[in-house]
Amino acid sequence: MDERTLDAIIARHDAPAGRLLGILGEIQNQEGYVSRETLEMLSEKVGVRISQLYGLATFYSYFTLRPVGDHVITICMGTACHVKGAVAILEALEGLLGIKSDVTDDGKLSITTIDRKFTVEIARCFGACSMAPVLRIDGNLYGYATPEDLPGILGEYGWKP
Amino acid sequence: MIQQEIPGKPITVTINGKEYRANEGEILLSVAIREKIEIPHLCYEASLDPYGACRLCMVEVVRKGKREMATSCTLRAADGLEVLTDTPEIVKHRSILFELYLAEAPKSDVIRDMAARYGVTRTRFLKRIEQGDPLGNKCVLCGLCVRACSEIMGAGAINFINRGPYTVVNTPYYAPSRDCFGCGACVRVCPTNAIEMEDAGAERVMKSWSGTRVPLSPCECCGRYYAPRELSASVLARLDTPLKEEIARLCPECRGKHIAREEILAKHGGSAKHA
Ligand code: SF4
Ligand code: FES
Ligand code: FES
Repeated sequence: MDERTLDAIIARHDAPAGRLLGILGEIQNQEGYVSRETLEMLSEKVGVRISQLYGLATFYSYFTLRPVGDHVITICMGTACHVKGAVAILEALEGLLGIKSDVTDDGKLSITTIDRKFTVEIARCFGACSMAPVLRIDGNLYGYATPEDLPGILGEYGWKP
Repeated sequence: MIQQEIPGKPITVTINGKEYRANEGEILLSVAIREKIEIPHLCYEASLDPYGACRLCMVEVVRKGKREMATSCTLRAADGLEVLTDTPEIVKHRSILFELYLAEAPKSDVIRDMAARYGVTRTRFLKRIEQGDPLGNKCVLCGLCVRACSEIMGAGAINFINRGPYTVVNTPYYAPSRDCFGCGACVRVCPTNAIEMEDAGAERVMKSWSGTRVPLSPCECCGRYYAPRELSASVLARLDTPLKEEIARLCPECRGKHIAREEILAKHGGSAKHA
């Protein structure tokens, strides 16, 4: 992220409460991830230690530290979704996209297809448990998902078998 | 932040049926420590505000015939306060916690010995052993190092990373830290001796903190490397004493000798000027 963009984001968040999360959220939204360079620049600008920012960025599943694909698929692995079959959804997705997910050392699963079209991530509860199991693609929620639904859903985002 | 404790008025508290003198408002755990009453604890550090993270220091407070559990590191002494430290409930609670800690820090001798002292020698929980863990599978995530680093030293070099079962303490990106002074406060407060630090010639290596290296400055008198350079500068900036000069140049040992020599010179009418 370039310095001017970051300055503009910082300027929009001047209330102390939730300030850092607000800024980090905007960075995530604009860039699709929070890069190390941006985090270091932010640390300088707001006078907050990089250890604190990194702690926040690794705590919330909302943030990604690595670049992601064109479309981000987030599978909810919260309790309700887990019970309703989220693991089967994840496995089916892996099969369709030809990826093998592996939990990284931060415990955040995040894997991107080689063509950089899709990134698969997991989250803990979207707060939509009544529609479990739930997945989200680029901000669109899909409830009551089944492995059979996936090809159709992925098709909306340009996936071809 | 560190609070300046003003001793409250003298009062009496009862621990396990025996009366003890204490100051009003004093932390009950510190009364117990002073009176050599054993209460296991991991996250209490007198120079930091009590935090109540490890839950090991639980005691039962007896109030109007009723009993309730409380962490003794956050409990303040008040006149007539009555606590019990070894009731069946406490023993049960403690045993489970020790089992959890044995699984969390399977390589920690401190935990092993402490648990054994309370009769817990095995755990039913899955032991978490990670190859190459920078903290040697000894960290219980009490947070004392993080707090000493930021609240006492103002360095903020380390922090919690991740969340839930993946939580660890380290430097951001597991990269050598530019914020670390190499003061070693973390090493000193760690209850499980998990943090490794080593002085190698002109450098101090914070082995557990991603191999952060900090230059040391040598004593002008004996040549021994003795203090992190950055740290001496920042401490000196805050210091206002005629000794400032000597502190900047001499290691504690040489400083002692130097001061003694000056005193002798002064007594015998010699010059007290610095050489
Ligand atoms: S390294 Fe030691 S002081 Fe730091 S959190 Fe772990 S146990 Fe506590
Ligand atoms: S558990 Fe998936 S939305 Fe709540
Ligand atoms: S010492 Fe009281 S909770 Fe850790």
